[in-house]
Amino acid sequence: MPLARGGGASGVPDDGLPSVGETAGAADAGGTTGAAAEEARQRLHPLSPLLKGAKSIAVIVAALSWNTLGEVGATDFALIVLALAVAVVIVSAIGWWNTGYHVVGRELRITEGLLWRRNRAIPLDRLQAVEVRRPLLAQLTGLAELRLEVVGGSKTEAPLAYLTVRDAGVLRERLLSLSGRAPAVAAAPSPGSTAAEVPLFQVRNQDLLVSQLLTPQAFFLPLGVAWVITQFVMEGTWTFIGIASTVTAMAGVLLQPIRRVLRDWDFRLFRGERLVLHYGLTETRSQVLPPHRVQTVRVTWPLLWRAKQWLHLTLDIAGVSGPEPGDDHRSDRLMPVGDLAAARALVATALPGVDLTGLATSPPPLRARWLHPFGLRFYGAGLTDQVFVSRSGRLTREMTLVPYARLQSVRVVQGPLQRRLGLATVYADTAGGRAGEARDRDLAEAYAIADQLAARSRRARDALAVAYSPGPAAPAAIAPGVMPPFVAPPGFVPPAAAPPGFVPPPGFVPPAVAPPGFVPPAVAPPGAAGQPFSEPDDETYWQRPERS
Amino acid sequence: MSEPSAPIVVDALEPWPGTVDWRPVSSRLITVHLIGIAIWTVVLLGGLLAGYLIVGGAPWLYGMGAVLALTVWRAVVAARAVRAWGYAERDNDLLVRHGLLVRHLSIVPYARMQYVDVTAGPLERAFGLATVQLHTAAAASNARVPGLPPDEASRLRDRLTALGEDRAEGL
Repeated sequence: MPLARGGGASGVPDDGLPSVGETAGAADAGGTTGAAAEEARQRLHPLSPLLKGAKSIAVIVAALSWNTLGEVGATDFALIVLALAVAVVIVSAIGWWNTGYHVVGRELRITEGLLWRRNRAIPLDRLQAVEVRRPLLAQLTGLAELRLEVVGGSKTEAPLAYLTVRDAGVLRERLLSLSGRAPAVAAAPSPGSTAAEVPLFQVRNQDLLVSQLLTPQAFFLPLGVAWVITQFVMEGTWTFIGIASTVTAMAGVLLQPIRRVLRDWDFRLFRGERLVLHYGLTETRSQVLPPHRVQTVRVTWPLLWRAKQWLHLTLDIAGVSGPEPGDDHRSDRLMPVGDLAAARALVATALPGVDLTGLATSPPPLRARWLHPFGLRFYGAGLTDQVFVSRSGRLTREMTLVPYARLQSVRVVQGPLQRRLGLATVYADTAGGRAGEARDRDLAEAYAIADQLAARSRRARDALAVAYSPGPAAPAAIAPGVMPPFVAPPGFVPPAAAPPGFVPPPGFVPPAVAPPGFVPPAVAPPGAAGQPFSEPDDETYWQRPERS
Repeated sequence: MSEPSAPIVVDALEPWPGTVDWRPVSSRLITVHLIGIAIWTVVLLGGLLAGYLIVGGAPWLYGMGAVLALTVWRAVVAARAVRAWGYAERDNDLLVRHGLLVRHLSIVPYARMQYVDVTAGPLERAFGLATVQLHTAAAASNARVPGLPPDEASRLRDRLTALGEDRAEGL
């Protein structure tokens, strides 16, 4: 089969570009003349059906399970698998023959399917991240899979499996340069050259191993093994099938640390125009991420890592929707393991201008201890220059950073218990699925936070729009993260201006003296006398004495 | 740490008092909700009555009493819940508040709008009402305004889309 690549039209199927909704019959009637002016459609690599078939065989074997092997015997089992595998490869080959992709303008178009034809046009300005994945078999054959993350997709859209490594790299570079809104993107280094560069950050494999040994699963592994052994010694049922089933079932849960080690092996991060991440042992992945696509960054201090003073960082991008808590499949690693200094450097890379060690938060009011009897002081929220910070968790401490420019909406929610205590929770929603949460704040403070979030996200968006808009009017000096001077938003009423009918409860100290609410900018504390007016007033409020 | 010893009294439904021009939803929505509750009650009561007639026994009667009590409570809450709904169009964002037991306030910037839904169920249509929902890229954003008269719904939709186009920056 001829492989059509780079403009050669010989191997392109005879149909043109059927519009979405056309049936296969109608598509076949189309000629190639319509597509003559456009770039020819390209096929995936001819080995793709074999590789995809191999993947399916593993699924088939898993579906047949050990019980079937016990029932039908090894020879029949092998025959069943073989027959299914041949069928799968044939189906994949037909699929391969009908799959094509090409770039039209600022769109990537993908055609696939035999009976149900599917034509997808992916607008590249909505591209969030591009990943080149090489599973074990693809590594052996020199192939790679290109995956695009697009907003609104509940799963990875358009995995192009498989291309040669060179083609994948070239296509990725091309898609990214077409997607960029900043003109400087064209000067980005190619992924081929980054391999020779010194990575900005690298995880020592030894540290990775130790860090995964310090997980609950690793601690439970010996227990699980002991349980299996005692089970069989007591029961006396030493059948091969029985042992194999149990081990397979346990492996799913207990081998997660091993999977993480394999996945994050040889983690390297490069910083060019964009973030480039390389990791993986059996399946190597290389991910290119424009920094302005980072929606949230989450910092986690697991309990068992505390002796080592390690932490890990994950980041969310849009298009990967609704990650479950504890499911780190969906969000991307920024740092699998590292110390605070490394984390600080990486946070500054992913969110320019943010210093992880300089993020002040303030805890909820003391009366929230009714809702959090143990971990109250580990909750907190803070409005810093660039990001909204929230912290939570007593055992596994977490901190979520949401850049103001990425905010989608702000919500204030007050449940019945919170109403009794005069508390409310503020959510800062992002397209990444995770939200920054200021849990159980004082109600007036919650409204002030919500108001600040809305105002700051608006200013950050305006700054971005100015920085990215082409033309001579755009002052290039405005970096994406630089905030314009703080101006009290029009709807902002400092708590000092009490609503009519407001009666201060006994013991209430007016905010003009003590700062429980927002201090209006005019009332600057003595220490801030030298600061310009543009400093946000949260300097006075949010930097309460923190526990060290 | 200097905390006020008592909570500052702020109404959860009235943030930034005096600065936001809240608009209520139509009170006809109460009727729509009441009819919905009535249908639900009739179905449940019918089932319980059938059980009582076929099987017999006191528990069926207790069940019917419980359903009636629940209906009365839901009817009272429905009226108050509809009055708690409100929305406000500010210069840059849409505010939506709702909920009695759990109170919600959403602030959605127009620039973040992805699309606007206008829906009307059969009951809503019978009473000349429609629901406008603003969707953003975040699944958690919840800016839904029910119980709008059709012309108000289309006005709001047009205004939202116009503002969204003016200020859209994608992500």
